[in-house]
Amino acid sequence: MTSSIRSFLDWCSHTATIVYIRDSSYGMPAVQSVHLVALTMLLAAMLVLNLRLAAVSMMDWSLPAVERQLRPWAIGALTLVVGSGTLMFIGNPPKYLANAAFLFKMAALALAVACQFVVLRRFFTSDPAIRRRPINVAIAVLSLTLWFSVGWAGRAIAFV
Amino acid sequence: MSLLGWCQWLEHTSLATAVSESVWLFPLIEGSHILALPLSVGMILMFDFRLLGLAFETGPAARMMADVVRWSKYGFAIMFVTGGILFMTQASKAYGNGFFRTKLLLLVILAINAAVYQLVLYPKMPQWDARGGAPLGARMCGAVSLVGWIGVIICGRTMAYQF
Repeated sequence: MTSSIRSFLDWCSHTATIVYIRDSSYGMPAVQSVHLVALTMLLAAMLVLNLRLAAVSMMDWSLPAVERQLRPWAIGALTLVVGSGTLMFIGNPPKYLANAAFLFKMAALALAVACQFVVLRRFFTSDPAIRRRPINVAIAVLSLTLWFSVGWAGRAIAFV
Repeated sequence: MSLLGWCQWLEHTSLATAVSESVWLFPLIEGSHILALPLSVGMILMFDFRLLGLAFETGPAARMMADVVRWSKYGFAIMFVTGGILFMTQASKAYGNGFFRTKLLLLVILAINAAVYQLVLYPKMPQWDARGGAPLGARMCGAVSLVGWIGVIICGRTMAYQF
């Protein structure tokens, strides 16, 4: 990483707001709570969407209808997860950048977001689940494995 | 035996000491507890959204409820098993912790709320199911559930900072 980014992160980590969040007794629990509530929402939305793709849940709604209903909640929750996560990261950038679980998590998150919201978006809105197909189940399993691996990697940050 | 004495006894059971002393068992159980949140609480929140008119307004609510409950049962099974084991490893600390006590109180309120919905409001669902919007009572239950579960998550996360 270039030194200008490093010095910018270093400056960020010493701003009054970030120091307060990191060192006050309820700053970090509050940020972590937002992270967990938003994670619950985001992964629940991904669960419902992919279970519908696999044709094992929410069969009264079409897949595009489920996608449309969940999209604002998923994007809102993703914003909160990333926002709260950024506050944790900024508190101590060198610690996170040296953490293998964190780096894996960021890669998995980027892949999961790209797959779900960019690559597969047209697939989900084109109603592929109108017929039961093995490919739908395979995509649902892979997608959920990817999303939950982001969560597991997040948990591992504290333990590696 | 007092409640605190029972907590101390729990901590010294072979299961509790094995989990505390294992390098990978505690993170695995704690991780399972957290990552079962979307499958348990998250699924229930989806139905709360339906009751409150925040998502899935159109479509049969009773069938959505059955669907959501069916999946969330697996999530709650993981929750209670992993939560029980986590409690055993740090029972006496949890016993004296305000956030843990608040979490348990919220869980009791949420259980009563769910029972009220099942016994009183669920039988009335056919009257409004096809039309879309839930009546005030059902909306109230949805709101209690939504706020209560978010409170449970906040208390659960915060209590760990005080151990």
